[in-house]
Amino acid sequence: MAMIRFENISKVYPEEIIVLQDIDLVIEPGDFVSLVGHSGAGKSTLLKLIYAEEEPTTGEVYFNERPISAIQRKHLPFFRRNIGTVFQDFKLFSQKTVFENVAYALEVYGKTNEEIADEVPQILDIVGLSGKANKYPKQLSGGEQQRVSMARALIRDPKVIIADEPTGNLDPVATKDIINLLLEINKLGTTVILATHNKAIVDKLGRRVITLDNGRVTRDEQNGKYVL
Amino acid sequence: MKGLKLWRTFQEGFKNYTRNGWLTVATVVVMTLSLFIVSMTMLLGITTNLILDNLRDKINISVSFNPDVTEVSILSIKQDLEKYQEVASITYISRDKALSDFIAMGDNDPVITQALEEIGENPLLASLNIKANSPEQYDVISQALTQSTFKEDINRINYAKNKTAINRLDGINKMTRQIGLILGIIFVSISFLITFNTIRINMHSRRNEFEIMRLVGASNTYIRMPSVFEGVFYGLTAAFITLVLLFIAIQALAPLTAGILTNGTLLDYYAGHLLEISLSVTALGVVLGALGGFIAVRKYLKV
Repeated sequence: MAMIRFENISKVYPEEIIVLQDIDLVIEPGDFVSLVGHSGAGKSTLLKLIYAEEEPTTGEVYFNERPISAIQRKHLPFFRRNIGTVFQDFKLFSQKTVFENVAYALEVYGKTNEEIADEVPQILDIVGLSGKANKYPKQLSGGEQQRVSMARALIRDPKVIIADEPTGNLDPVATKDIINLLLEINKLGTTVILATHNKAIVDKLGRRVITLDNGRVTRDEQNGKYVL
Repeated sequence: MKGLKLWRTFQEGFKNYTRNGWLTVATVVVMTLSLFIVSMTMLLGITTNLILDNLRDKINISVSFNPDVTEVSILSIKQDLEKYQEVASITYISRDKALSDFIAMGDNDPVITQALEEIGENPLLASLNIKANSPEQYDVISQALTQSTFKEDINRINYAKNKTAINRLDGINKMTRQIGLILGIIFVSISFLITFNTIRINMHSRRNEFEIMRLVGASNTYIRMPSVFEGVFYGLTAAFITLVLLFIAIQALAPLTAGILTNGTLLDYYAGHLLEISLSVTALGVVLGALGGFIAVRKYLKV
């Protein structure tokens, strides 16, 4: 059973700006997929369709073989809890500590304070931020901030991690850390979709690579390389 | 679990309220101004009404009777008049009472007492002071008096003198109500718009946070409630400051109203209705803030 399936997807913004067209893709559970392409090729939009931040103009996206368009709007927040998201700009609450940022993902669930006090330190330990729980994002390096963001995505044990340029703002060492973390998570069975511009990473990964150009899929290779 | 989440959104709202520094200050200042203008408009409206009530109370028709009319017949006329539904009350003032009032009014001025002594007898007439239920009815009453069976006994009707005053008061009364209502509506609308906009700007500066909340899977209610609570806190603060400002303003204005209100000054009125005023200003602040927060955040709830 496919984890995510795009069926005849196109996305057209007002004034006939075509962002995606004729997309048919299947992503299996446990896949580690790299999504590459020039800026504006449609990578982010494709990812947004998965976590329902955007709706396709035509076609249907299936999550666990269930059409996303069939989910009522008020149920979307619950659907999104299946998906962890990580972004280039980290998207952390600047006025919350590391602990509070990660805890927020559990608070919206209605988890008790005891459960939160139990689970957050564990996940911070996994991403290597044990000593930084009471720091604020601006007191951390870019790599550390991204690990906070990863911890927040991971803490709910999502089925899919969507990482949109997670290393775009990071130095090579931090980049390696984050990619290794994604590989670890993938090993535990979580599907990972990684959009990136980093040729070195993609080539070294040796995993499935989907190339987008002008809103179309131009390559889709297992064991692929970064070719634009 | 619902209670826990609600408590969390409450805490979140309180944190936003305390953490946002200048945005909080700006929002509270704007809300305070709104509340102050609205409550001042209302209080001025109430004051005008009190003053008008007081003035209306002073209006009457004074019917003086010829010196040869006996007290008994005046009292029986009084009884007849009291049957009219337009008549609110009638007071009988005897010649002696009129004289003692007159002397008292002159503060026992020796010149007056001397003049009265020279006349040798009481020059004043007995009279009936008639009060109507409403200012428009004085005309009717006055006409009825001039055409009555006892019109020969009447020395003079002291109505024509008051007529212009009565009419003018009537006009002022209607005009102040209309102007007050229109001004009130305008001020209230402008204040609300400004407050909503300020809260919206406040929320707009934090729009990234709403995006994070959505991505992390917070439900719409969970995203919205902190803003509503935050608005409530703004409202409560603004209401408190408004009440203090009102007290200061009223204390400054009170001496001006000393002579024209029936019971004491505006300050006494404020003190007497402190609970009602505090409650309504607070309620207004809370509703304004909560509604502002509720509406402002709506934009960021799209999927």
